[in-house]
Amino acid sequence: MTESLLQKLEAEVGKCISCGFCESVCPTLSPSGYDLWKGARGRVLVAKELAKDLRSGSDGILHVSDSFYSCLDCYACLYVCPAGVNAGIVSHTSREIIASGMLPENENPVAKMIVSTTMKYLNPLGVREKASKWAEGLNFNDNSPDLLYTGNMFQLMPYTKSLNSLRNLMGRRMSKFMAGLVGKHPPLIGFISNRRDRDLDARMSQSLRNIVELLESSGLNVKYLGSNEPYPGTFIYDLGYADQFRIYAEKVTKILKDSGAKRIITIDPHTFDLLKNTYPKFVRDFDFEVVHYIDLIKDLDFGKSGEKVTFHEPCHLVLRECPYNSPMDLLRQTSEVILPARSGRKTRCCGGPNELLFPELSEKISEQRYGELRETGASRVVTACPICFTNLAKDEKTIEISDFLIEKLRK
Amino acid sequence: MDQVHGLKQILGANLLTSREQKIPFQTDASYFQGQEPLAVALPENVKQVREVIKFCQEHSIPVVVRGGGTALTGSSIPFKDFIVLSMAKFDKIIEVKPEDRYAIVEPGVKLDALNQYLANFGHFYPPDPASSMAASVGGSISTNAGGLRASLYGTTRNWVLGLEVVLPNGEIVKVGGKVLKRTAGYDLTSMFVGAEGTLGVVTKAILKIWPLPESKGRILAYYDTIDKVGKAISKLKGKGITPLIAEFLDRISMDSLSKTRGLKFPDEVDYMLIVDLSSTRESIDRELSDAAEVLKEFGPVSIKITTDPTEMDRIYEARKGAYSSLLSERESNSERVVIGDIVVPASELSAALKESEEKVKEHHLKVALFGHISDGNIHANIYADLDNREHMERIDRFQIDFGKIAIKHGGSVSAEHGIGIEKKELLEMELEETGSQYTMEIMKTIRKAFDPNGIMNRGKMFD
Repeated sequence: MTESLLQKLEAEVGKCISCGFCESVCPTLSPSGYDLWKGARGRVLVAKELAKDLRSGSDGILHVSDSFYSCLDCYACLYVCPAGVNAGIVSHTSREIIASGMLPENENPVAKMIVSTTMKYLNPLGVREKASKWAEGLNFNDNSPDLLYTGNMFQLMPYTKSLNSLRNLMGRRMSKFMAGLVGKHPPLIGFISNRRDRDLDARMSQSLRNIVELLESSGLNVKYLGSNEPYPGTFIYDLGYADQFRIYAEKVTKILKDSGAKRIITIDPHTFDLLKNTYPKFVRDFDFEVVHYIDLIKDLDFGKSGEKVTFHEPCHLVLRECPYNSPMDLLRQTSEVILPARSGRKTRCCGGPNELLFPELSEKISEQRYGELRETGASRVVTACPICFTNLAKDEKTIEISDFLIEKLRK
Repeated sequence: MDQVHGLKQILGANLLTSREQKIPFQTDASYFQGQEPLAVALPENVKQVREVIKFCQEHSIPVVVRGGGTALTGSSIPFKDFIVLSMAKFDKIIEVKPEDRYAIVEPGVKLDALNQYLANFGHFYPPDPASSMAASVGGSISTNAGGLRASLYGTTRNWVLGLEVVLPNGEIVKVGGKVLKRTAGYDLTSMFVGAEGTLGVVTKAILKIWPLPESKGRILAYYDTIDKVGKAISKLKGKGITPLIAEFLDRISMDSLSKTRGLKFPDEVDYMLIVDLSSTRESIDRELSDAAEVLKEFGPVSIKITTDPTEMDRIYEARKGAYSSLLSERESNSERVVIGDIVVPASELSAALKESEEKVKEHHLKVALFGHISDGNIHANIYADLDNREHMERIDRFQIDFGKIAIKHGGSVSAEHGIGIEKKELLEMELEETGSQYTMEIMKTIRKAFDPNGIMNRGKMFD
């Protein structure tokens, strides 16, 4: 296993000639103060050294954790690399090597905490029960073959936002200590996940209700698992815990299968990408049809206004092998869309995936991105991902696409 | 450790000292591997640059200044216990004044980012090395970078009006200025251009900018011999036509672009010539047609004219990525591409290209030839197995022969990549073969006058 990981890493970094093109698009480089190991080329060069050390059995321990865990996996580097190197894959493989136990000094306590709580509670913060509150009073159709799968993503945002405030109060060292403690004793998560940002919670709940209304307006009365709905395991996969992810994904698949669903309707880019592209590689009988809800509502009549909006395209939709552009296409039917200088295959990540492990870096990236979006002169910034929304909601001008579409539908 | 402590006092968190953080600073885009520096300094302001330089001077610590890290000759890598002075945080565009045709920028600004910003004013900064996406203003000044548009606009030296420089003794000087004309003593601005960080640290640059061309068009011509390519471009220039861009690529280069960029080229052709012209809207078609007539005289296998901006951008970007695209033709990941960079007068191109091809065969090397043909710049991209000593020695011998071809035809061993580590021997050879040995003495005297202890980029350019 570790040999195959090492070979995978060597193959990817071996292609690099260090031209540096990737640095020009890497979202973490300038916000990190041009500390090159937190940029795409630097990660590849550090990984090259790591692979060399592992291959030679060197005694020296490289402390590389921050370099690889700070990568956002956006894959922007891939689209400018003439040699086809993906620094995201390099970082992911390196994280897998760390998670495999080969480099215990590099294990990140926050990452370990997230993995252990998710494995235990099927939710990274142990708030699965609370994650279904938004749906109170709504009528779902338990007999429908269509399952609305939120993946708890919108619901987690108010908790992670509060958690970060807590981290700021505690400082980095104390936070790591606490994370280590919770990692070993998952029930302790209750002490740090009992706070949530109430305003954001209300907003996220409304977005979820809007999505249901949009689907109903399209004639779809779907089923929903409520408090039984598991988190899809995105963090476990992203943090490199492949073995645990396999076990977890099988568990999630069983729950989905037991529901009798045939089609899974996802509502955020991370869950959509994970279920569509990653689950089939890990779970043999994952044979669901996976769709994004935007594709199911595109025939609604939203009308067209002259409003000029800008759209922050999510990395997991436009920077993957097959770009998914339905949200943008739909938005263009309703308004005039002015894209920022960095868009399409050159879109810049909002920094959200770094929120739990590197909150300061995440904040700087989001400020940079928000600045680019505002420079378009558009009246509003539309996002299509709860993580992007949370990170880019610097003022009232940022709006989640479901909220935006409901507003247009009701007019 | 006392030295690191002293630098920490100046820079605080802007000094990187861990082995892991220093690793990426040991490499640039060349095939040379640097050594572990003492520390990496990331100053935020001129005062910090000055204090770091003074400290290093006082403690005789060698300093290498780093821009975008895209050098191809090893000029920006450190040796053991150097200080890497990264100018990345100097990333502001300070002023743009189109009516006076200048922009004031900090050295860490990337060339593409600068041009993206200048486009808002309908202007641009012409030097466009193929690495412009990652190359910085400071680095391109220090290597006198050229690029595709050098055919019409010349290299960086032609576009630098003034500089602010921290000298090796810590003095801050301002040379040149905002005006397009100046005859006030020695041209010190030009002296810092191409100095590869041996004479000081550029902290601010006043660059000449130019209005964007009103209209552009492209001719794509394919030939079966390299001789015809050389003759066609010579004739074109002889007729008074100066292309905006004139690039040639051989078959290996075309194949690599097919693989990496999905571009399609005719099967039966060995060489491609890309000629861009810029002109007014009214005259572009006529000028393209006139140029195409000249190119047709040399029997192209096929020829095509396009003014479609999307197609033109695609080919332009692909050509700029040609060097790295060649990697797709590697036989193994351990192979690198070593890039030769000579220049000859345009009229000598045909002969120089033919002789270069003969030398490739003689040394049994796999080489892709492409280059900025309008200004006589040929790049020989040699596939190199860095772990094979005999192979690397053969490459060294080829590089010497390639350089000799340039000198024989009245050119130079370095067109636009600088000297760095790679071409120190070739530089000496050029000066010797042209009877200019005294030039080396002058350069050494200048370097010593600026930097008596020799701390700035020690071991690069010449000893």
